Amino acid sequence: MPAVTPTLALIIFAAGAVAGSTGALLGLGGGIFLVPFLNLGLGFPIAMAAAISLTTVIATSSSVTAGKAGMNLMNFRLGMLLEVATAAGSVLGGITAQFVAQTTLQRLFAFVTAAVALITIARSKQRNVITDPGVDPGRLGGRLFDVETGATVVYRIKRLPLAVVVSFIAGNVSSLLGIGGGFMKVPVLNAWCGMPLRAAAATSAFMIGVTATGGAIIYYGNGQLQPVAAASAILGVQAGSWLGLRASPNIPVRVLKLLLAAVLGSISVLMLTRGG
Amino acid sequence: MKSSDTRFEILIGRVLRTGVVTSIVCLAIGLPLSLAGPTPGAGVRLLNIGILFLIATPAARVVLSTIEYILERDWPFAVLTSIVLIELIIGAVAALVFHRKI
Repeated sequence: MPAVTPTLALIIFAAGAVAGSTGALLGLGGGIFLVPFLNLGLGFPIAMAAAISLTTVIATSSSVTAGKAGMNLMNFRLGMLLEVATAAGSVLGGITAQFVAQTTLQRLFAFVTAAVALITIARSKQRNVITDPGVDPGRLGGRLFDVETGATVVYRIKRLPLAVVVSFIAGNVSSLLGIGGGFMKVPVLNAWCGMPLRAAAATSAFMIGVTATGGAIIYYGNGQLQPVAAASAILGVQAGSWLGLRASPNIPVRVLKLLLAAVLGSISVLMLTRGG
Repeated sequence: MKSSDTRFEILIGRVLRTGVVTSIVCLAIGLPLSLAGPTPGAGVRLLNIGILFLIATPAARVVLSTIEYILERDWPFAVLTSIVLIELIIGAVAALVFHRKI
């Protein structure tokens, strides 16, 4: 592990900014980009890279949730229920991470990165809305204002057990690799569980804060969180995502998706070949 | 969703924002101090405080949600959010156990 000099802190800050802005543009957390940079680029062991990245995920999740709270997109009840599974997963993942070899984690990272690339590119936008606002959304469904039709719509949750299982797995992956895990939850909630895309994304955004906390607590207690590096990364990611959100409307979606595929593909290959 | 839901959501939003802002301020001040200041130790302590604030923020949100559901007498969800809290506490305990072993 490299000693954190002022120069290194600046480099980490810059990396955080890139991760944050790319994440904001592409709708991902920055973890997918930050962990490989810290691990492969700067020589941090995966556990320390994951620890740093998880703290940035907490910061991003908390600021996004704070910004959107009260906007009626977040399904807190469903989120709380799924958090039972995801928190369990993240604590378990954090503990497991202490015993799993570097190379195994790197291969897992390569696999997950490739999966993210495929999922994001093939993302189908299921509408999942019931146009009669009088329909009962049930305990876990929701009502929201659909900008596209200008009316209040309802959605109901289907296949809850599937969502629970995926949340548990996402929690594990989040702690093991230091990423948010939203990329698993959002497509599943949207494609198979009946949530409109924006509601799924908003709900996932607030859930990953708790997920990341579970893992972060374990790494922090185990002394694997380097405070100077973490602080640089957190500040960088915050700055980057602020910039990214401003630039976002000016860049065509097609370009973003191609960029994402290229970057994630490279990361996947690097993790497989240069790991260990 | 009931109107009480929205009131609590706004409160949660405020708590989250306070947590993040406090944390970031601690980090932003602590970072230069720990790297180039006269007392790097104080800087690192400030960084640790900032990080603790950050980690505590989602946990605080879970606590607030538990209180919300208890006040609304929504027992199933009060239990669910309590379980999440217990899971995080288990994580903290596991972390302390690890710490002792080093």
